[in-house]
Amino acid sequence: MRIALVGNQNSGKTTLFNLLTGTHQKVGNWPGVTVERKIGIIRGTDFELIDLPGIYSLSPYSLEENISRSFLFDEQVDLILNVIDATSIERSLYLTTQLLELNIPVVMALNMMDIADKRGIKFDLETLEKRLDTTILPISALKKTNVFNLIQTIKQGDYRRNLYQHIYDHELEKLIAELEPLVDTKHPRFLAVKVIERDPLFESYLDEKVESLVNDYSSKYHRDMEQVIADERYRYIEFVRDEAVLAKQQNLTLTDRLDNIFLNRYLAIPIFIIIMFGVYYLAAGPFGSWTVDLVDGVITHLKEWMEVFLTDVNASPWAVSLVVDGILAGVGAILNFLPQLIILFILISLLETTGYMARIAFFLDRIFQKVGLSGKSLIPFIVGSGCSVPAIMSARTINDETEKKMTIMLTPFIPCSAKLPIVTLFAGYFFGDRSGFVAASLYFLAIIIILVSAIAMKKILFRGKTSSFILELPEYKRPSLRYLWFDVSSKALAFIERAGSIILIASIVIWFLLSFNWRMTYGVQVDDSMLASIGRLISWIFYPMLGELSWAASVSAIQGLIAKEQVIGSMAIIAGYSSDVTQGSLLFTSGIFRFFTASSAYAFMVFNLFSAPCFGAIGAMREELGTTKRMWKAVLFQTGLAWLLAVLVFQSGRLLEVIL
Amino acid sequence: MIAVKRAKQGDRIQLSQLKKGQKAKVIQLNTCDRAFRRRLLDMGITEGVHLKMKKIAPLGDPVDLELRGYELCLRKADLELIEVEVIS
Repeated sequence: MRIALVGNQNSGKTTLFNLLTGTHQKVGNWPGVTVERKIGIIRGTDFELIDLPGIYSLSPYSLEENISRSFLFDEQVDLILNVIDATSIERSLYLTTQLLELNIPVVMALNMMDIADKRGIKFDLETLEKRLDTTILPISALKKTNVFNLIQTIKQGDYRRNLYQHIYDHELEKLIAELEPLVDTKHPRFLAVKVIERDPLFESYLDEKVESLVNDYSSKYHRDMEQVIADERYRYIEFVRDEAVLAKQQNLTLTDRLDNIFLNRYLAIPIFIIIMFGVYYLAAGPFGSWTVDLVDGVITHLKEWMEVFLTDVNASPWAVSLVVDGILAGVGAILNFLPQLIILFILISLLETTGYMARIAFFLDRIFQKVGLSGKSLIPFIVGSGCSVPAIMSARTINDETEKKMTIMLTPFIPCSAKLPIVTLFAGYFFGDRSGFVAASLYFLAIIIILVSAIAMKKILFRGKTSSFILELPEYKRPSLRYLWFDVSSKALAFIERAGSIILIASIVIWFLLSFNWRMTYGVQVDDSMLASIGRLISWIFYPMLGELSWAASVSAIQGLIAKEQVIGSMAIIAGYSSDVTQGSLLFTSGIFRFFTASSAYAFMVFNLFSAPCFGAIGAMREELGTTKRMWKAVLFQTGLAWLLAVLVFQSGRLLEVIL
Repeated sequence: MIAVKRAKQGDRIQLSQLKKGQKAKVIQLNTCDRAFRRRLLDMGITEGVHLKMKKIAPLGDPVDLELRGYELCLRKADLELIEVEVIS
């Protein structure tokens, strides 16, 4: 049996899904799009549960809603499990009235009953069941209340088949009844309503007879039928609400009191800055770097142990090097950041589930709408200062396609934590006391680039498209440990998977190019390696920003594609030191890098910070932008802009050096 | 810019002119953008619905409306397309 789980955003759908299926989950994508598709098996049964995206309606205008309705309409679904937020029953039932029109039985899980109880909202379930002709079970997914009964009801097939569905006025019901036999589908009532609404995706069903019937009726209303249908649905819901729901009028809820502080005209922004500072202190600050050192230590031990072990079993030197210098070094460099990312994932998940993230999007929208982005773009930008990969993934919450694409393309400009070693090394050596100022200037530059690019993109790429901002401001909620665990572990696993696939392959390729010459001799000097000759081939690209044809710097910049901190690692290896070198004085006095000046150092930093991000982030861009072509566009845009800026910095810097 | 006076009961105004704490009834959605209008309808902004201007973002825009037992944020530019009658 196949069951579809449907509900609004913030209805507790994901918590219920995790509760019903436990660890028996498969995550994939919906065909053709990048929206996540989760399938699970309900505990103690062999029923398949499909988690549909969180939606408010089955309209044709948003990607998520389209996916959901074509799934429900076209595929074999035996039961719809509709999750309802008991605390905002009216808006939730709007989706239910649409689901009931499908020829599929619906069971309603009236979720968050614990909160509704506390707030004194009372339901006359019998009347509600009768009016909607469905089976309704009051539950609390968070407190696990009554979930067992829900499973039993589904298992025993002990639910109403919802046959009685008269919710519209007399005229409309008559029209629907007339249309139903004329349309050829499993879901005649649903389709009849769609043709009345003149839904663009069902236009093929509008033959002459159907069209004239619809036109005859529509002309009586003098209004758009889509609007009439929506009005009628809500009218019926109001009627049901008046009959079956008793809600006490609350004057000032906890959410209102909290919002008086968090959205206060004077306090909102200082509080936001303090919270963000706290997040970064934990994730990127002293605590975060401590965890990085910890993992680094483990990986270094692993490398040493592996080297000894492989040498003991008489593995050939190149095999030892492949495992130790190629695979472990490359993948290890990424895994170094895992604990830091997990901290970041936890904090971001907390900001999201408590409802504060929606407030950030709400009060900062004003600034972002000026440049064609939305308040929701800020979330990826914040996350991006830790790591671009989850940042790009978090752009999903932006419902406007243009804003989403722009945000995804701009997020990698935020200097992520892996880019910090580059700044530390270059700024520390070339700018000494003023290195802090130089580092700050780069962040400032990033913000300017984002704002200017956003305005330019809006003017050139996405011209004439106006966007709107529709956001539900959820109530503040206490976070759930169980949800936190699911959320963080699934994101961390996705990150590890990526490190294990794309980064593994890239590491092996770079290792191979660095360790062999064109005659396939292993163990050559870096100078003679294939990578060096490739570097010489491309060093002209970097000439305008370095003032020197340097294969070593070119190759190191390219290695930033694996992971940005690899740039430094690579420079160190080429200069003949261990990859852990962090002292600029050693690196920049070596013959191969002696050419660096303050101008070229700043230019090289600019290029590395703003050019194409690492493979991990490029992969995430590919997934979220949907096509490889768009990914290439984004990568070329980022790299081209970085190159231009770097050249501009170097040339004007050199000019200044001459004048001063 | 002319300072907008607080609208009185029974006045027909754009929703964007409603002051914090005021309540109004939706009269008409004046938008030709079908997708946007449908989003508003789906979120419960139908003709006749009662709503309250509940919160205003610290920078003056967007605003937070209370309707049908939940809260919805919209930009002021979009509110101009919604005609309402002031209740209180």
